[in-house]
Amino acid sequence: MATPQTALLATATGPHLYWIASRAAGIVALLLSSASVCIGLLMGGRLVKGRKPDLRVAHEALSLATLAAIAIHGLTLLGDAYVHPSLGDIAIPFLGSYKTFWTSTGIVAFWALALLGLSYYARTRIGAQRWRKLHRFTALAWILGVVHALGEGTDAGQSWFLAMTAIGVVPALALLASRWLSAPSIPQPGGAR
Amino acid sequence: MSTQSSAGQLDAKALARARRAAIRARARRIRRTVAGFSAALFSAAFLGIYVQLATGHDPALSRTAATATQVSGSSATKSASSAKSPSSESSSAAKSSSSESSSAAETPSGESSAGSEESSGVSAVTTKQS
Repeated sequence: MATPQTALLATATGPHLYWIASRAAGIVALLLSSASVCIGLLMGGRLVKGRKPDLRVAHEALSLATLAAIAIHGLTLLGDAYVHPSLGDIAIPFLGSYKTFWTSTGIVAFWALALLGLSYYARTRIGAQRWRKLHRFTALAWILGVVHALGEGTDAGQSWFLAMTAIGVVPALALLASRWLSAPSIPQPGGAR
Repeated sequence: MSTQSSAGQLDAKALARARRAAIRARARRIRRTVAGFSAALFSAAFLGIYVQLATGHDPALSRTAATATQVSGSSATKSASSAKSPSSESSSAAKSSSSESSSAAETPSGESSAGSEESSGVSAVTTKQS
């Protein structure tokens, strides 16, 4: 049975539920994408010996979960009574009026992640070499996503958010930096997906 | 001789099948783990933000309170805190000084307005959630 306090809290936070869900999904997307980038770089950089099939499955599952989380992040905003964006506002860059630059950064990051990530299932058509080259740009899309989170995120100024982001993002950035610094000029066969 | 080789082939096939099944099972387990982890992460984040908002510590609404304080001054804020909406009343369950002013500034839509009867022209503030 609900106490009066619980009922009052539900009344107060009720109108914000879509907003809360969107923020939570954004946090999940940030952490999952960082983990996915980490695993992808570990696989591609030959830093982990053995267990490669497991890593590939984890990388794929994390990527798909990231896309789902971003979709929830955007779609739940449609129900928010304050921002009240249209489908175009959350899907087309530079269309919405709410924090246009940062929002557009996130939209571009999402489309780039979706196209580059899902192209995995069409790599036989694209060609493995070409697909592998394309897939490297996923890291840039992920960086755009991080920029979006830090620029527009409601919790971006909070210490817990910054700590959580650092825990997720810094290892991936370090791996990315090491990969770029020691980038092989010739793509390795059977490298990172 | 041929019976032995065919038996060996059968064994090899069975072994390969078992290995494939093991790989598939491991992949399924990994996918389930990722799905469960994602759901748990979402629940934790949702709960954390919900509690933060309900206790009046939400960063966006705190900024609202700060703006209201800056613009309307302390006397205006005090008078505004007496004019709470039903939703802001419940938000004011939090007992911090910042939450007191933020709860006064909340409206159900997340849009915040603080106004006082004494200085309505000066203190009417509208801020946004980010």
